[in-house]
Order: sequence, then structure tokens, then C-alpha cells
Amino acid sequence: MLSAHARDMGLRLLVASDEEPSLSAFQKHFTACGFQVDCARELEEAEALASRIHYALVVADLRLAGVIGVEGLHLVGFVHNRCPATRLILLADHGSPEIESEARRLGADAFIRKPKSMPDLAQVVFGLLEGAA
Amino acid sequence: MTSLLDRILTPGELSVVFQPILEVRNGSRALHALECLIRGPRGTNLEPAEILLEYARRKREECRVDRACLSTAFMAASMLQPEARLCINVHASTLSLDAGLPRFIDETARTNRIDPSRLTVEIIEHLPACEEAVFLRALDSLREIGIKIALDDIGLGQSNYKMILDARPDYFKVDRYLVMGAYRDSRRQAILESIVRLAVRLDARVVAEGVEDALDLATVLSMGIDLIQGHLLSEARPLPEFAASPRVAGVCLRHLFTPTFS
Repeated sequence: MLSAHARDMGLRLLVASDEEPSLSAFQKHFTACGFQVDCARELEEAEALASRIHYALVVADLRLAGVIGVEGLHLVGFVHNRCPATRLILLADHGSPEIESEARRLGADAFIRKPKSMPDLAQVVFGLLEGAA
Repeated sequence: MTSLLDRILTPGELSVVFQPILEVRNGSRALHALECLIRGPRGTNLEPAEILLEYARRKREECRVDRACLSTAFMAASMLQPEARLCINVHASTLSLDAGLPRFIDETARTNRIDPSRLTVEIIEHLPACEEAVFLRALDSLREIGIKIALDDIGLGQSNYKMILDARPDYFKVDRYLVMGAYRDSRRQAILESIVRLAVRLDARVVAEGVEDALDLATVLSMGIDLIQGHLLSEARPLPEFAASPRVAGVCLRHLFTPTFS
């Protein structure tokens, strides 16, 4: 149902991660679901996209190409401040409760520990978008 | 893995398209200038200029990226005959941080057989110029070598009255936000009229950007804006495409091209 809606509405997703296989799997899966998917590897690249394009949902890995190790948190805060309507998911493989609570404070709608299968992740994405609709 | 920034700075990764600015007066049209519009590395998120430049700003690498963009633009424009006036974009922050930029523009333009007097530097920015004195000195240096100054996005962001006073632009470029739909919006018309009056008082010319509708064109012309840029008259295209098909909104650009293209 949401796939057809995504296609009709031209819903656009941004996924930001430093893991090439994850980006590619995400792009393939959600493109097949009818979304337009942009992928970013660097924080600044993701911010540049998000400052010019309205995304229905952003999936941010905690780590992006860079040195600080928590670039995903910065991205969550940036997107939430710029566009509060955008749904936000933070992915982390070593997320502590402090990181999760910081992510929530910055505006994340969901905090997901990796690994997570694509169907499970899709369920969260669809749930958030249906809730926002 | 090569970073996006490294890729931007690698020669040959950036490309440039040109969009004519036409002078439309008493029913006749003529080419006023070509704006050089940069494109980021093909197939990346940075291909659209606005995302490329936003990325450069977020990386705080405007200076290096602006220099790479200028080199790319001048190299591409070297194919043109000297009649063509060229507009190039530079961040205000680059002008305030890179004291050597006016000299770089002068030298790179000349290396590519472009007399600096053919250039208009369009100041783009979304942040205030950080070193105001350096910024203003850079503008003076550009004027000294014959370059004209344009202020982009007049009426938006930092292109405000203070910037108009300080930068003393030769051109006010009115953003598409104010132009699109002006024919049916009296508020936009009021703002455009005030910009035209201000330009007349300050001895500047006004360029309407984003003209995509015949009714908007008629509206801006009726207000006395005679420099027009937008898809209605011409898309931005690579130079070889103009050379192959040199007619733009009734204006022939054939004379701009070297024999290579004829």
C-alpha cells in the first residue's frame, strides 16, 4: 500500500552511511518499493543534500566517512532543526544508552542497533511514514 | 577511497554549462552575457551546482572549490570569441579569505585568452563575509582590473541593503523567488519595482533570474528590467551545444564561436 503511495507522492529518502554494501542494499530495496533514494557517505554531503531537498525520511548511520565517529548524531540534529516533519532513524552497531538518548533528544524517531535485516528496517520505515501520513 | 572533495579538485571532474542573459528592449533581443554555471562530478550527488556549493561551504572549502570552478569555467570559455561577456560565481567568503583571488582570476583568465574586462563576478553567499575589510579590498582589486560586480540573490539572505551599499554592485540579480509568479502577485511586483528604483538611483542594472513564464517576462519588462535570464529564453547548455545550434530565443550566437565550431 505504502509502496504505491511512495511512488505516487514521489517520496524521497536519504540514507547516510560509510558502509558501501549497506548503502547499496538500502538503495536497491527502497527503490524497488517506489521511493526515490539518495545515498551519502559523508556528513557534509548528507547535509548539503538535506539542505536543498525535502526528504520524507532519513536513515543515518552513527558513523559516516570522517573522524568524529558520531556523524550520524550531527545529521539527525541538522535535519530535525531544518525540517521537523522529516522522520529520522539512527542506526548504530555500538550504540550506548547515552547515544540513544542523545539521538532521541536531537529528534530521532527510531534508534536501531545493527545488524538489522532489510525487511525489519523496512517495517520501521513504513511504520514511521504511515504514522506521519 | 577518494573523498568527494578530492574528486571535485581533480582536473576534469568539474564541468560547466552556460546560460545566456539576454537584453530585451523595444521588442529586440541581444546577448548581454553568458553565465558560467558549474556542475559537480558526473554521477555524484554533487552534480547540481547548489548541492556542490553547499557541500563546499559545509566542508569550509569554498576557497579551493571556487578556484577549481573558476579554472574550469575559464578553460571552457576560452573557446569563445572576445565579444562574449562572461559571468562567474564567487563566494563572498572566498573573497574575504583568499586575498590572492583577484590576482588568480586575472592570471587564469588571461592564460585562457580572456580579457578580465569581459568578466562580471557574481557574489554568491549565504553567510556574511567574515573579513569585511579584505572582502571590500578584493572588490576594489577586481574593479581595478576592469571586472564588474554583480550581487546574486538580491532581496534574499545576505544580499541585503548593507551588502548593496558595501559591494556597490554594477548588477542586481533578482532571485527567481521574486520573479516566478510575479505576474499574478502584486506583492512581488511591489518588491521588484522597489529594486528597480533602487538600481536606477545606484546606477546599477537589474537582471531577472528564473524567468520561465511569458507572463512573468512581460511583467518584469513592464517594470523596466531588460536583462533576462531563464528557461523561457534559454536553458543552460554546454558551449558545443550552442555552437551546434546557435539560435537562442531569436538571437544568433554564431559569432561567439571560434572556427573550431563553425
